Amino acid sequence: MTTTVMAPAFQDTPLVVGGRSFRSRLLVGTGKYQDNATMIRALEASGAEVVTVAVRRISLDRSKEDGILHHLDPTRFFLLANTAGCFTAEDAMRYARLAREAGFNEFIKLEVIGDQKTLLPDVAGLLEAARTLVKEGFKVMAYTNEDLVTALRLEDAGCAAVMPLASPIGSGLGLLNPFSVRTIKARLAVPVIVDAGVGTASDACVTMEQGVDGLLMNTAIAEARDPVAMAHAMRLATEAGRAALLAGRMPRREVAVPSSPSTGMLS
Amino acid sequence: MIPQLPRLHAVTDDRVVARGGLAARAAELAAAAGPELAVHLRTRILGGAALLDLARAVGAALTPHGSWLVVNGRADVARAAGARAVQLGRGGLTVSEVRRVAPGLPVGRSVHDIAELRAAGAEGADFLVAGPLFATASHPGEPAAGPGLVRAAAATGLQVLAIGGLEPGDARAALEAGAWGVAAVRALWEGGEPGAAARAFLEALPAAATLPVTVNGESRLVPAGTTLRGLLAQLDLDPRAVVVEHNRRIVRRDGLESARLSAGDAVELVHFVGGG
Repeated sequence: MTTTVMAPAFQDTPLVVGGRSFRSRLLVGTGKYQDNATMIRALEASGAEVVTVAVRRISLDRSKEDGILHHLDPTRFFLLANTAGCFTAEDAMRYARLAREAGFNEFIKLEVIGDQKTLLPDVAGLLEAARTLVKEGFKVMAYTNEDLVTALRLEDAGCAAVMPLASPIGSGLGLLNPFSVRTIKARLAVPVIVDAGVGTASDACVTMEQGVDGLLMNTAIAEARDPVAMAHAMRLATEAGRAALLAGRMPRREVAVPSSPSTGMLS
Repeated sequence: MIPQLPRLHAVTDDRVVARGGLAARAAELAAAAGPELAVHLRTRILGGAALLDLARAVGAALTPHGSWLVVNGRADVARAAGARAVQLGRGGLTVSEVRRVAPGLPVGRSVHDIAELRAAGAEGADFLVAGPLFATASHPGEPAAGPGLVRAAAATGLQVLAIGGLEPGDARAALEAGAWGVAAVRALWEGGEPGAAARAFLEALPAAATLPVTVNGESRLVPAGTTLRGLLAQLDLDPRAVVVEHNRRIVRRDGLESARLSAGDAVELVHFVGGG
């Protein structure tokens, strides 16, 4: 009897950010869940290793235990703190420094928001904060818009990853500007991780097919009717998009080409 | 947040007012205690006009020394006389009524038991006069509330003045229960040397004073000498579960014990919550 060893159909390289290596290219947020049990099940279904958290004041009256570390095992997940809600470079740096003290690593998902309505980034503040934080030893993962020049400047500033948006935070509009995201990916040496705007699995798949290194999402999973099932779908879609990219798609043709042989037809 | 109150409060009653010579005695107290003194004009035996005249006379005696005039009950008189605060007792106006009459003036509420304390908190009083700490001549037959009431009042985070039979030697006990300051009637208005009595109180006060600080944006009073570690213990917070920022500077866990709070300090206590 002979044993046949099947090679796996698809094998990916790890996602490497700031010297850390991750098997999963899907990064997920922990906000907006109805309850912590659902969040944990969704995180598990997503297969994500990197999960984002926010820094906020502790409630002094202890009436609600709102800390997330009671629920999230920091030895199991890589906690990536964000500076969500910060509107100035100074605020974002303050939150980043607090996060580093609270956390378990020197990574920070840097957000400097410039507009309340769209939550689009303030790129001047973002660059200023990124430069300072990199000097302080942070591994900065910068949330930015899909502008190539800003992305290049962030790379020059020493960011560990550049994270252009697919569409505004929490909008679920999907990838609005695939061309710009592809352009950024083509020009940058550091990992490009699309952050924000994905609405459903097809958005995730299309985004990964642009060649980006990873995908970060929160609302698309947390606000799904069944977050656990959507997390599963996002895992598959992220992997599918990545696999399709590496597999190399067929060319687009404006004519039909038959799939079945044109010879051997009955006369 | 209201300004820091003086720490020594000389509260009148009807007997003190009836005896006369109030403004002259207030001037002696003020000369001894300066900005650390407040005189609470509390009487029911004077009508509005007479009370206003007296309030103005006492106020004129206090102002040169930086001492406060506080008028009890009559928000209109307080406003007309330029008082620094209004103090409310049983059966008086509500805090919100006072705010309409005398907007911007701090409003204190006297509390004698836990039920009144809760009501004062619900009304939104700015500071509390809690007691009696001991049985008193001015409220005969009334059982002393003891330090428990002062402790409960201090737990609201408001500035608390302990009242009720206090002598200078009792100031420390009042402050250890969490009071910001002390209020006295007999010990300050009777006896031949008001200045000496005021000084004796003040000497006893700094030893265990409380400090106003801001924690996560909320005003709180903590005993002087409180360390950041002590603050976390008071709040029942595990130092491993919180990051401490003291006046915008992060303090690591091993520095919590040596960092002491000062008046006006701002402390932020943060942790991780869900986020995207």
